[in-house]
Amino acid sequence: MVLLEADKVSRSFRIGDQSSLALSEHTLSVQAGEFLVLTGPSGSGKSTLLNVLSGLDRPSLGEVRYRGRSLADMTQQEIARLRNSSFGFIFQTPHLLPDRTVIENVELPFHYGCPRSFSEIRRRCLQLLEYVGMAPLTSRYPDTLSGGEMQRVVFARALACNPEVIFADEPTGSLDAENSCKILELLKKQTANNCSVIMATHDPGGIFYGTRVVRLEKLHANV
Amino acid sequence: MTFYPLFFDIQDAWRNLFRRPLRSLLSGLGIGIGVAALIAMLSLTEGAKRAAFEKFSSLGLQTLRLEAIASQSEKGESTMNLSQGIIQEDAVQLAEWLGMRGKIGVFIKKEGVRISAGNKEVKATVLGVNAGWFAAEGLSTTRGRLLYEGDIAHQENYCVVGSALAANLQVEVLSTIRMENHVATVVGVAARKGRLLTEGTGLSSVDFDNIVIMPLTSMPFPRVVADRLLLDGLVVSLEQAHESSVQFLAEQIRQILLDSHRQVEDFHVVVPLTLLREAEDSQKVFSLIMGAIAALSLLVGGIGVMNIMLANIAEQTREIGLRMAVGASQARIISLYLCHSILLTMTGAIWGGVVGVLVALLIQQFAGLPVVFSSFSLLVAPSFAVITGIIFGLHPARRAATLEPALALRDS
Repeated sequence: MVLLEADKVSRSFRIGDQSSLALSEHTLSVQAGEFLVLTGPSGSGKSTLLNVLSGLDRPSLGEVRYRGRSLADMTQQEIARLRNSSFGFIFQTPHLLPDRTVIENVELPFHYGCPRSFSEIRRRCLQLLEYVGMAPLTSRYPDTLSGGEMQRVVFARALACNPEVIFADEPTGSLDAENSCKILELLKKQTANNCSVIMATHDPGGIFYGTRVVRLEKLHANV
Repeated sequence: MTFYPLFFDIQDAWRNLFRRPLRSLLSGLGIGIGVAALIAMLSLTEGAKRAAFEKFSSLGLQTLRLEAIASQSEKGESTMNLSQGIIQEDAVQLAEWLGMRGKIGVFIKKEGVRISAGNKEVKATVLGVNAGWFAAEGLSTTRGRLLYEGDIAHQENYCVVGSALAANLQVEVLSTIRMENHVATVVGVAARKGRLLTEGTGLSSVDFDNIVIMPLTSMPFPRVVADRLLLDGLVVSLEQAHESSVQFLAEQIRQILLDSHRQVEDFHVVVPLTLLREAEDSQKVFSLIMGAIAALSLLVGGIGVMNIMLANIAEQTREIGLRMAVGASQARIISLYLCHSILLTMTGAIWGGVVGVLVALLIQQFAGLPVVFSSFSLLVAPSFAVITGIIFGLHPARRAATLEPALALRDS
């Protein structure tokens, strides 16, 4: 089943009088349970494509459809709800709220989604932290964690609302080999639950985890 | 509809305040000063308003007061040959003209008279009055009775004494008191009424609690000129209290007296209701000036809050991107930063409120100005703080909400 489709999407940015093309026309579709790896050199538009597919950015041209419905037809509110309930995000730099504990960071998506009881949220988050091996550190603050630990917290947060698609932008970029391997294994596990993973990476090791690899080429286009 | 998102945003905003506590404290400074000025101003104007009301109420808002003055010609020569001041015939003429529209009380006053009873002696004011004076002044007794028309007509040596004087002389009803060489029988002790607050009105003051009130006809110290009894003043109690009718009657009475006094203004008319309105008008000007200062402080404080909010948002751009990535809508981002700016202004308002109350109390202590803290003044300040927080927080909040999530996440 096709979950996500990109139809001739391109993205350009205006800098002063000049327009810089960050993503040339791309068409792709993502099946449920697929592990899609986007690879290519820096500046080829991997992150831009991830942003456009996830609704964090809008394409300059073309269309992105989720379950057949164009994101362009959705309101800001609907896109926000979609990101909350159906998408999960892992970034190269683990973004965590500095004044929130590990478990509070994992709880964050629940505060922007449908209201649930506190005990239900807590139980789910503890399960997730257990799953990523962070259960002993639930009350720690982000600045007391290592890069690998932070990334595992981010991973737990990405899984919080049972997403259908996980977008991972260089998730192993700031990790050592051992932690990279842990994260990639965790991502791979999700596809077994019919969750799609779209990962942009430079890491040659990461490519082997994908069920499909799409290579993007570097652009030199100034329009 | 659930309030949970709002509760979460308030909690989130509250934590945000403590990320940079000094910055939060300083950003609330302008608001705090504005609120302090607002509370101090409202308390002072309310105090001044109450004091003016008490002062002019003591004179009677439904009365007109006339008192005799020594008139002077343009060259400064006495004009006593033209008019003798207020005389009993004036009171009779005015009573006839006034009819059912009011009552007239007349009085003669002698201050500093030595009053004795038994072996006790004090100095007090002696008033000679007609029977209508009690009604015009609204004076009643706690013991005994007032003076009646018959007492006046028969020139009885009866008197009513003020409550403090009665206590000082230890006299009761039917006791005898001596006023220098005159003797009178106490027929009543007046209820406590205090002093007529006449400062700034041109009227002479009377302490109703330290007074001997006698029939005009048996007053031991009359001033008679050319067989006419000179009065020290009139108190006109009106049936209608409407401001325009009071002023109209005051002007009419003035004109009648001028006509009978050959256009010599040897009296002055005081309308307490008009004085109250004048005091209120001057307080309005004061309130406007103070209000403008408070509003400027709030404006400056609001701009300070907006700057701090913009700085916070610039610092938290990536965090905003993260919140959007995990599902925060634009409305929730606006809600979060509006809560933040409202909390900033509210904390300013709380300590500003405390400072405002202290400032007002210090002014009361050292400048002697009356201060009244009304619930209105204590509610209006936090309300203004919330409004300022909303107005000046809206622009930064909207700016945060309109950030592109992908760009925000890339912010360094």
